[in-house]
Amino acid sequence: MAKKYGMIHDNNLCIGCQACNVACRSENQIPESVYRLQVWVKPEEYPNGTLGYEYHRQSCVQCENTPCVSVCPTKASYKNVDGIVLIDVDLCVGCLYCVAACPYQARYVHPVTKAPDKCTFCHESRLGRGEEPACVTVCPTDALIFGDLNDPKSKINQALSTRVTYRQKESLGTNPKIFIVPNKKGGINS
Amino acid sequence: MNQLWGSMEQYSTVVWHWPIAVYLFLAGLSAGAAMTSLIVKWIEGNGKPPWDGLIKAGALLAPVTICLGLFLLIFDLTRPLHFWKLLIHYNFGSVMTLGVLALFIYTPLAFIYAAIKFKPWLFETGPFSGLLKPFRGIVDSIGDSPVWLERTLFLFAVIIGIYTGFLLSAMYSYPLFNTPLLPILFLASGLSSGVAACILFGLLFFKSEVNEKNAKYLLELDLRVVPMELLLLFALFVGMYFQGGDKAIVAVQALTTGIWAWVFWGGVIGVGIATPLLIAVTALKNHAYRVGYILLNAWVVLIGVIFLRLYILYAGQTFVG
Ligand code: SF4
Ligand code: SF4
Repeated sequence: MAKKYGMIHDNNLCIGCQACNVACRSENQIPESVYRLQVWVKPEEYPNGTLGYEYHRQSCVQCENTPCVSVCPTKASYKNVDGIVLIDVDLCVGCLYCVAACPYQARYVHPVTKAPDKCTFCHESRLGRGEEPACVTVCPTDALIFGDLNDPKSKINQALSTRVTYRQKESLGTNPKIFIVPNKKGGINS
Repeated sequence: MNQLWGSMEQYSTVVWHWPIAVYLFLAGLSAGAAMTSLIVKWIEGNGKPPWDGLIKAGALLAPVTICLGLFLLIFDLTRPLHFWKLLIHYNFGSVMTLGVLALFIYTPLAFIYAAIKFKPWLFETGPFSGLLKPFRGIVDSIGDSPVWLERTLFLFAVIIGIYTGFLLSAMYSYPLFNTPLLPILFLASGLSSGVAACILFGLLFFKSEVNEKNAKYLLELDLRVVPMELLLLFALFVGMYFQGGDKAIVAVQALTTGIWAWVFWGGVIGVGIATPLLIAVTALKNHAYRVGYILLNAWVVLIGVIFLRLYILYAGQTFVG
């Protein structure tokens, strides 16, 4: 059976250290000044007046219903059998329709190919070798869990059954495969 | 600011820039000009050569502006040398592919229609008459009023006018684009820009061939389309406001914030809609035929439509809720 890769980003474990960001750049040889992945650290004021942090994983959320693929006129943007959204650079004309249509600002124009590029779950490198994506491997706190959503026994499905999660901009119906565990910690002053 | 996580330059939501707005304008104008030319041609008594200057203006503008627009579009791609892949790889769920296919039909028809209207110039008096001689037979065989060609051209002009709106409205990443009224608004403003361009072009270049009656007819048509645009804009923003959530926030921001609010009130409404209405009820009252004012009227309508395309494109990408 085909796989359906997904990921959990646990805000209670994340410390915003950017190890994932750096690992992604090095594994995928991302050119300077563009990023497949960043973690934005946002101070949040909680209702009881205390302070906490949200760690926003700014990257492709691997939608199930993919606006980027729907709009692409040449099918250069596509979803592979494992549910990973990829770009066939050879077919791309550079209309940037996909960049505009992505509600998550996940795509950037690669400075060399001039085609859009984005997170691929390390499909072209590590996944093929049977390894987890670079970000997951290096995360010092194990805030990232990667796996096959179609496999009931996978680590990710076990975590999903015990942790409360939400997904970004769920109301758009994109059905992201990145799940977020909201932060419960906070209250520096309390 | 240099954050811990690095440069945030790539996260700008403004992805498409002014060449796209100009393309949307030119495509709408082309479609509008084709429709205008056909509307005038279908008026009782206009169906035979010598063609009215307004019919000729529209017939010429339609293919020329669509080609200009397409060139602009191709050079705006980040991989322009690969543009031909758009012509042979299709995704029938993509408005861009559907647009390409519609243009495959529309553009040649627009050229054939123009060839019929400029037959004497092309094959007898013009500088290329020698070169084009071999094609004369084909154009002759089509005749002066090919009913199906004209109807198909009109239908595809409407499709081109509407598709430019769907191209944007298909993206739900931008609340201002993602409204059902946008394609209709673009069709209406495309038509009004086509009418204005035909009047302007006709009176400037084919003046002796323009029948006053036809020009008045078009002025009246424009005077109906322009208030329609106003109504559509009104319904679009009020509709967004009542949808609540992000849509309501974006509607308010787009009408009140920064440079794009100025462009909207000054350019789109002030120049493009209020001025032509004002000219209509003052200088051109009671169907007065004052060429100076008619030309001025055409200019402001055209400028207003450019402003509208720029405004929608930029405000739409700037205010995302
Ligand atoms: S996040 Fe953007 S790039 Fe990734 S699958 Fe969704 S729409 Fe496509
Ligand atoms: S930029 Fe390339 S991948 Fe994106 S929609 Fe256009 S052709 Fe498809």
